[in-house]
Amino acid sequence: MFSSIDDVIERFTEHRYIASRRIATVIYLASSLQKPILVEGPAGVGKTDLAKVLAASLGEEMIRLQCYEGLDEGKALYEWEYAKQLLYTQILKDKIGEVLTGTKGLAQAVDRIASEDEVFFSERFVLPRPLMKAITSDKQVVLLIDEIDKADAEFEAFLLELLSDFQVTVPEIGTFKAKQIPLVILTSNNAREMSDALKRRCLHLYIDFPTREQELAIIRLKAPEAAEKLADEVVNVVQSLRKLDLKKTPGISETLDWVKALTLLNVQSLDNALVDETLDTIVKYEGDVRKAQEELKEYLRKVRTRRGGADAAGSGSGGGTDKDMLN
Amino acid sequence: MEDKLVEFANLLRQNGVRVSLAETLDAVAAAEISGLGDRDSFRSALRATMIKRASELPVFEQLFDVYFSGLGEIIKGASKEVQDALSMSDQEFQNFLDDVDQLLKDHADELSELAKQLLRNENGQLEKMMREAARAVRMQGIQRTIEENYFARALARALGLDKIEQEIKELREQLEKLELGSAFRAKMEEYLDRRLKMLEDIIRKYVRQEREKRDLKSREEARMNQLADKSFYYLSEEEMAKMREAITRLAQRLKNIIAVRRKRKKKGRFDIKRTLRKNIEYGGVPFKLKFDQRKKEKPQILVMCDVSDSVRNASRFMLQFVYSLQDLYSRVRSFVFVADIGEVTESFRTNDIKDALDVALKGDVINVYAHSDFGRSFRNFVGDHIGAVNKRTTVIILGDARNNYNLPHDWCLREIRQRARRIIWLNPESRNTWGFGDSEMERYQVHCDLVEECRNLNQLYRVIDQLVPR
Repeated sequence: MFSSIDDVIERFTEHRYIASRRIATVIYLASSLQKPILVEGPAGVGKTDLAKVLAASLGEEMIRLQCYEGLDEGKALYEWEYAKQLLYTQILKDKIGEVLTGTKGLAQAVDRIASEDEVFFSERFVLPRPLMKAITSDKQVVLLIDEIDKADAEFEAFLLELLSDFQVTVPEIGTFKAKQIPLVILTSNNAREMSDALKRRCLHLYIDFPTREQELAIIRLKAPEAAEKLADEVVNVVQSLRKLDLKKTPGISETLDWVKALTLLNVQSLDNALVDETLDTIVKYEGDVRKAQEELKEYLRKVRTRRGGADAAGSGSGGGTDKDMLN
Repeated sequence: MEDKLVEFANLLRQNGVRVSLAETLDAVAAAEISGLGDRDSFRSALRATMIKRASELPVFEQLFDVYFSGLGEIIKGASKEVQDALSMSDQEFQNFLDDVDQLLKDHADELSELAKQLLRNENGQLEKMMREAARAVRMQGIQRTIEENYFARALARALGLDKIEQEIKELREQLEKLELGSAFRAKMEEYLDRRLKMLEDIIRKYVRQEREKRDLKSREEARMNQLADKSFYYLSEEEMAKMREAITRLAQRLKNIIAVRRKRKKKGRFDIKRTLRKNIEYGGVPFKLKFDQRKKEKPQILVMCDVSDSVRNASRFMLQFVYSLQDLYSRVRSFVFVADIGEVTESFRTNDIKDALDVALKGDVINVYAHSDFGRSFRNFVGDHIGAVNKRTTVIILGDARNNYNLPHDWCLREIRQRARRIIWLNPESRNTWGFGDSEMERYQVHCDLVEECRNLNQLYRVIDQLVPR
């Protein structure tokens, strides 16, 4: 457990995650109030990472449930192990015969079997899926329900019992109550609006793209090998790219990919032919790449003008105007 | 604290944010944990518990500022003004206040509570008294600008402003009798005047702020609703910008609806063959059931949009919608026509929306300054592009059917109808005017499966809603 909001920030930083005070407050609240967090925001701003780091900083296991269209209880909660049940009935055929000895007529035999059937519908034959695992775990765990917006509305409704009471019901056996209440994080990319019922049960956290300073700090933390100047330039360009109308706006993960790629190619500054070829690490669509190239050119032009202006101011005023005109 | 949070929740609701009782309870619990000491944490705590939609965040931020610092800030600002007016440094002001305090103790013990707090610069106490008075006059009911004066007067009365005026007057008279340094006396007199004025100021500002809190959003919302019913013909430049925004949002909403409907459709009838095959591993006992996977129905759409001068505004929005449609569905072909017809599908696919519309409307594809000739356009379409229509195609025609008394060639439409799945005609003119003058609507109407008036956003939305497979 965390002792204060500052404690959250500290421990997250230890695990190489820069949490703003806003994020830290919500995490702290969630762990104190034992409420799930619904994290929303554009792709690639570290929603999934948040859960991973939360688990790591608490030293807990993380159980992940990736949602997709058509995900049902069987895949998320539990399933009966039919094969095992069949196998057992095969092996125990003789035993079953023994149980049935002395019965008169079919009706009596069925009654006899019925009285024993809970043997086959016991926890022994339950195949636990992520949600069940998180509930029945002896230690507290972090449960990540990733991209909940991809799952159907029915599944969302099914989650409600879990999220408010931390219990699940298996009709044949009964209700499992959580031994340790898990920390639940749900992430959503806003492909569709979540129901009010779900939202009511959760704390809400909206993570937006980071500010310039935050992004620089993240690069320094995650890609310390990158040159200071390069990092600075990359952040400038990415921040201005986000203002454009792109099909897929680059997230932090794309920024990191780009910085790492450039560093790997031994590029020190964006003023380099190789830069154009690595643009597809941050923008993923043909049309976007074209827009990004223009933006990059524009940026370099501005930088050059500024530098040219500064040089000219140093050497004398006459040259400066010429250069400006050339640009 | 609970009171304040409940009131804040009410305020959020008044501004169109849905906050449930459970969420208010959460907010109270969260506020207890975060404490009030750190403003940022407190704000985050409330944000996480009360706001569940990213779109509602701006409203929250605005209201939080107004509500949780509002009155305090006003009072602080006013008392700073008094200090500035007396041109004292912080230290001097503090010393001066100590002197005032002493003076009050010695000579004016019977002052009213409010006057004491006011003169002693006890801002916290003052705030509390103001809030109590505001509650007494039911200021939470304020809604219109007109009511500001009424509430300002009521608040002044509840606070006992006239009594304070009287008291301060008496205090001044008393000061005359005392033997004070003339410099101090002058300062003191000015101080008293300023304080009195400051109280009036505070009351006025407080009332205005309360009013503003309550109609931040309502105005904006009312405007948007009004816009949805307004005809495309009568839009101002600014309204067009708003409308574009609305159309984008509409398209997004559609996307969601389509996704849901497709999903709902996916499961078909029980499939015996596949069920048996799947369950061989369980000894033929049907543990797992299989259903037909229905084919996703991808509608093919062909749009013909009239871009002549008479429907200029309307066609701009229509084209915008066509552009969004192309984004939504994979198979959309778009045509524009006036007296001739031309295809713009490719330019819509490769350009962003602004350029695409320019291409369509500037006359690069066809001559847009000609007189509309629906008949000729249709005939050319049948001649050149009829291959684009097959039995899965929905043809959408956008236009007013004002044919300038040219030959209507309605047989072309029949031809198209025979090949297409259906024809939908959207007319930006009011239904009453169809068939009058040069309108050929009645002649064309018989070949269409659906004819709708489409003059504003709401109607457009209804039409599009019918297009999406259920």
